Amino acid sequence: MASIQELRQRITSVGNIKQITRAMEMVATTKLRRFQDQAVASRPYTEEITGLVQRLAAMLGEELEARPLFCPGQGQKSLMLVVSSDRGLCGAYNSNLFKTMESWRAERSEEIDYFVIGRKAFQYMDRRDFNIVRYLAEPGLEAMDYAQAAMVGRMLTSEFTGGAYGEVFVLYSAFESMVKYVPTVVPFLPIGGGAGQDGEQQEAAPAGEPLLEPDAETIFEHLVPRYLETRVYNALLEALTSEYASRRFAMKNATDAANDMQDTLRGIYNRKRQESITKDLLDIVGGAEALK
Amino acid sequence: MPGQITLRIITPEAVVLDRTVSSVKFMALDGSMGVLPGHAPMVTALGPGELVADGEGQSEHYFVSGGFAEVAGGTLRVVSDACERPSDIDVERAGQAAERARTRLKERRVGDAETFDLLRAEASLRRALMRQNLAGRRRT
Repeated sequence: MASIQELRQRITSVGNIKQITRAMEMVATTKLRRFQDQAVASRPYTEEITGLVQRLAAMLGEELEARPLFCPGQGQKSLMLVVSSDRGLCGAYNSNLFKTMESWRAERSEEIDYFVIGRKAFQYMDRRDFNIVRYLAEPGLEAMDYAQAAMVGRMLTSEFTGGAYGEVFVLYSAFESMVKYVPTVVPFLPIGGGAGQDGEQQEAAPAGEPLLEPDAETIFEHLVPRYLETRVYNALLEALTSEYASRRFAMKNATDAANDMQDTLRGIYNRKRQESITKDLLDIVGGAEALK
Repeated sequence: MPGQITLRIITPEAVVLDRTVSSVKFMALDGSMGVLPGHAPMVTALGPGELVADGEGQSEHYFVSGGFAEVAGGTLRVVSDACERPSDIDVERAGQAAERARTRLKERRVGDAETFDLLRAEASLRRALMRQNLAGRRRT
């Protein structure tokens, strides 16, 4: 059993840790709100771009098959962009991501190259036999704005058109709710699956063929890169939102646990103190008795 | 409402503008273009340039960095990477961007295969000049 002295020290140190975790929880809450706002603000843009792609794709129909970004690349290998966090202390956020990555890799037969965003993933993969082609360390994940995300999108696209890869994927934590973040692998290139599926729901929307200025080809050429850029941007935003939701949750749990621990320790401490006081009193009374 | 068209300017960061106006002028890829109420459905690609929205006797100017415009059912939606009021344009940054793009273009001038980079430098120069131009005009 610990001495009274030791107990007192432990109570203080648990209290200190509690203060830190509570501060981190509050920071995470504010940042979470910021990224959520950003995600909400970017939604109309994404919807508009996606809608345009779908409508134009429907108009171009068969022609689409011949476009390089719409059919599988010549390469044997696959490329994957992994989005993790730069910092730890966010619960199982990163380990869940890595678990999904490992099981996904186990199912694939081809060789896979990786682009990595986020220090945690880099540390994890660097120590294992992942073939990291590029680690996008600058700027940090949080500082990424649309322009930077667009750059990443362009890099992925040019790797794909370079002919080394058959398919490109993105792995990130999709934000489903405040307490649910699902690591997801989404096919990025060739464009196909995703855009096509959503297209079915929207088919009723366009009434009559709109005029196209200057022509469908040109518009499409400008539109497709934008579409890919927005998809990267959204993946990054969602990953960030998930990270902060996860961190907030983890820090809240830590604060609660620290509270519980303090309560228990204080209970033990008080009992001990009582005991020693009783003992002291008995000694004094006993001593006084003996003197009579 | 007749004689009115809803203009929405959408960027990844925010919906910059959402209001009714009586006419809109903007730069399409191959020249200036105007949209009046009752315009037929249309999709067009935009170049970097000025967008002018006329309504209630006053006109508002914006810089649009390129993107798309879609007319459908009395609404003109402009989807762009960036859209700024002339007063918000960061002239210094635009100047730097123009300088950067110019040097890049100069270096690449002779026999270079990287047309992609060249195109991007050209595009960014055009954006920067347009920004400067617009910002300068507002001030005077």
